[in-house]
Amino acid sequence: MNPYLPVLIVLLLGVGLGGILSGLAHFAGPRKPNRIKSEPYECGVPIVGERDKMSVKFYLTAILFILFDIETVFLYLWAMTFRELGWFGIGEIVVFLAVLFAGYVYVVKRGALEWD
Amino acid sequence: MGLTDLVALLSSDAAIQIIASIVKILIIVVLCLQIPPVMVWAERRAPAMMQRRKGPNRVGIGKFRLYGLLQSAADAVKLIFKEEVVPTGANKVVYHIAPIFSVFTAFLVACAIPYGNDITVFGQQISLSPIRLDVGFLFILAMSSLAVYGVTLAGWASNNKYSLLGSLRASAQMISYEIPLGMSLIPLVIIFGTLDLNKMVIAQSAFPWSWGVVRAPISFFLFFICMFAETNRSPFDLAEGESELVAGFHTEYNSAKFAAFFLSEYVAMFVLSALAATVFFGGWQVPFVPYDLLLKIAFGLDWLAALVGFLFLLLKAGFFMWVYVWVRWTLPRFRYDQLMALGWKFMLPIGLFNLLITALVVAIFDTVTRH
Amino acid sequence: MSQELLFYSFAGLIALCSVMVVTSRNPVISAIFLVGDLFLLAGLYASMEAHFIAAIQILVYAGAIVVLFMFVIMLLNLDPDQRSQVQIAAPEVGVLALTVIAFAVVGGMLVFGQPTGVSGEMTAEAINSAGGNTFTVGMVLYTKYLWPFELASMLIMLAIIASIVIAKKDRPKSATEGDKRRLAHG
Repeated sequence: MNPYLPVLIVLLLGVGLGGILSGLAHFAGPRKPNRIKSEPYECGVPIVGERDKMSVKFYLTAILFILFDIETVFLYLWAMTFRELGWFGIGEIVVFLAVLFAGYVYVVKRGALEWD
Repeated sequence: MGLTDLVALLSSDAAIQIIASIVKILIIVVLCLQIPPVMVWAERRAPAMMQRRKGPNRVGIGKFRLYGLLQSAADAVKLIFKEEVVPTGANKVVYHIAPIFSVFTAFLVACAIPYGNDITVFGQQISLSPIRLDVGFLFILAMSSLAVYGVTLAGWASNNKYSLLGSLRASAQMISYEIPLGMSLIPLVIIFGTLDLNKMVIAQSAFPWSWGVVRAPISFFLFFICMFAETNRSPFDLAEGESELVAGFHTEYNSAKFAAFFLSEYVAMFVLSALAATVFFGGWQVPFVPYDLLLKIAFGLDWLAALVGFLFLLLKAGFFMWVYVWVRWTLPRFRYDQLMALGWKFMLPIGLFNLLITALVVAIFDTVTRH
Repeated sequence: MSQELLFYSFAGLIALCSVMVVTSRNPVISAIFLVGDLFLLAGLYASMEAHFIAAIQILVYAGAIVVLFMFVIMLLNLDPDQRSQVQIAAPEVGVLALTVIAFAVVGGMLVFGQPTGVSGEMTAEAINSAGGNTFTVGMVLYTKYLWPFELASMLIMLAIIASIVIAKKDRPKSATEGDKRRLAHG
């Protein structure tokens, strides 16, 4: 049996279940919308201002996440082959991590992780 | 195709595997559907106990009140039959898709945990984790990285400031802690030499001194913190922060759609608890009873041994679920800058050094034992 | 046979999703289709028994890079009326270019890429018996492709520095120093 067949089954089941829950919300309950009820909730006071634009901090976090995520991908492969490579592998990964750690130190020094 | 062909097809090895995998998946999905009601009940009774009040104890059938356990059932019925209010200005399509995203990622991840040792049915070896791939737990990490979209899309589609801010906070937090989460698991790959969770459980054996938590304590420490951050639970529940953001990304969600988010949140908690139990606490291994002995005690029936193991895994995972509740009512909330600093400035470097130290120790140990 | 069927169904769905990514008016809908696209691409890899790449495809592309896209979309948060001002100058040129490229690719495949049916020494069975896909990829990466791997760390470091330089504006060293300067001038 293809090992990905269960993945497909669970995927369909999950989407189906989510769809059923989503659909139940639509059809099972009463539907009496009015203008006040459908307003976005802001603690009961009249809505002020436009949609906000968000801080650039989140963008920077996402970029750093991608880069360190790629780094961990290499680490998984390395950990898998660790027993075969032995000390040679440790040497390789120390060089790899040293370069990245320099980048990390730069990030910290520039205060890019400071959340203000 | 004739009838005889059909019979031959159904009794073939492949058919047995497919039927078995459908049965396994259904069992796990039904199990996952039971988690939110029980946890909701626990999350009401536990603080009541801690704060010396009674908590919900009225709902019951006639005279049998079952300690208020049926309150959850009443809640589920209420949620389904409530009116759905879609806020004006919401993006209708995305608003309806977001809960589906959350639900299917949660189930995919839940099906990748090994719930017992392999068993033999009709001469076929059947693995008790419904999804078992060559990449092992990388599948869990990959799928849980998709869970961000449910949160992000829900917040964006709601056209509500609280929702948007909550979802941005939640997603930034989830991605930030994904890195230490991944790094905390790498030392275990080094020690056990595999990505397959079931092989890890077998390698840990039944004796607590050879479990992951003893061999890689720092990893467990990092993983434990990430468990709370990844699920946006207290003390890292800034994304919800009900005193500042009402409810975070699902502020505008109600009725069964809210239930969908609720379900996926609790399933995600269960998966992380089960993963912690599997990787650090011997998974389905019964403490001090090696599998061979367990098999003998279970009259040589491997399914009975697997069932006992399954119950022990649930027990171990249940403990971590209890810790979630316990911590929620004990610790105050972090500030957002503290949360980010903890993830990036503390956990990340510790994760890296933990990895290198583990590698060095294992390499030295290997070199010594080889000579 | 089933391998080919899988390939064509995945390829067709990927093409469909890609068209939806380009034609959707709403950037968030585009991003959702992009996630679907990358998910299907992972499926395509998996159907070729490249399990590790399939997992990483989802982990890195769908789970990280599109998250960045989402953040940028939410960061700009264009209003619907602002968005609709973006008009494609000459859609006919685009359609023509797409058709030419499609024919070129199909033609090129027919001329140069006839499948021979001959498999190399690295078949899926050989990889499985050598310790699994992930292990084999790791071994190749850490022995044969040692230098590209080490260079990758330089690349990641450069990307880190570049992202900081672009996204992080230089500010006075600290608030107090900035205040002092302002006080001195005013």
